[in-house]
Amino acid sequence: MKLLINGETREFPEGMSLEEVIKQLGVRKETVVAEVNRQIIHNEKRADCRLSEGDQVELIQFVGGG
Amino acid sequence: MTATLEQIKSEDTYQINGKTFTSRLLVGTGKYATNELMTQCLEASGTQIVTVALRRVNLDNKGEKTLLDFIDPKKYTLLPNTAGCYSAEEAIRVAHLARATGISDFVKLEVLYDEKTLLPDPIATLEATKTLVKEGFTVMTYTSDDPVMAQKLEQAGAHAVMPAGSPIGSGQGVLNPNNIRIILEKLKCPILIDAGVGSASDVAVAMELGVVAVLLNTAIAHAKDPLKMAHAMRHATEAGRLSYLAGRIPKKLYAQASTPIKDF
Repeated sequence: MKLLINGETREFPEGMSLEEVIKQLGVRKETVVAEVNRQIIHNEKRADCRLSEGDQVELIQFVGGG
Repeated sequence: MTATLEQIKSEDTYQINGKTFTSRLLVGTGKYATNELMTQCLEASGTQIVTVALRRVNLDNKGEKTLLDFIDPKKYTLLPNTAGCYSAEEAIRVAHLARATGISDFVKLEVLYDEKTLLPDPIATLEATKTLVKEGFTVMTYTSDDPVMAQKLEQAGAHAVMPAGSPIGSGQGVLNPNNIRIILEKLKCPILIDAGVGSASDVAVAMELGVVAVLLNTAIAHAKDPLKMAHAMRHATEAGRLSYLAGRIPKKLYAQASTPIKDF
């Protein structure tokens, strides 16, 4: 399935969970906030969050700012 | 009247939404040459509240160090900003994302209107303040130095109102001290100068007006020697605060001799 992650199209096996996608991307799960189709998915819910074709995923973290 | 400097400083606290702070300098974490330098500057500044931003993870830099590897949220209160948001909706979304980290429910709310001035959109700022206060955030709102707007933000429930001394990153200092004086007179909530300070003297001027604290970023991060400037800003904040507490002499047109005039 194709997912739009942080604005980039990426291919993943069908039915993967958000947790698995984050792991496969190599992103550190403890410092990232995730949204799927503009809904925040908290850390403990990521394993249950099955993704499907065309889902928009945003992975956000703290960066320097004023 | 015999209190030591340390006693005066430890007793001179302020609160934001019930949380007590002693340092009156809030420091941003952007624009530093390296994260290591940023860490040293935060330490030198004596700050207790640091602003941070939220951005997309770079998918091509797997496992890279993140800001939180350099800032201990147990040591500093993180103040996530909504920088770069141009609508109330966007700013509210960013605040939600920040809170979802589980690290902080503070938010430095800024809703901008245009890229050149980085001035806030007052209507959207007011709307977002109302919403985020209702949702239980500790809202510290960036605004222009307009006293009416500042009052509206306080009425909307802002936990701190943060007028810009001058445009963000401009280093022009506090351009309209009279507006800041009026804001201080009219509002009861904590007032912070957010943005525009360029040097230690700018910070001292702001503190002498009676604001509870100053928030800055570029003035340290882009100084020729950021670490020295971080020390300078800490001293200037403390000097300005003490000067405010001490109460300055009135300005006079004519000289007044410091040495008693007596017959020899």
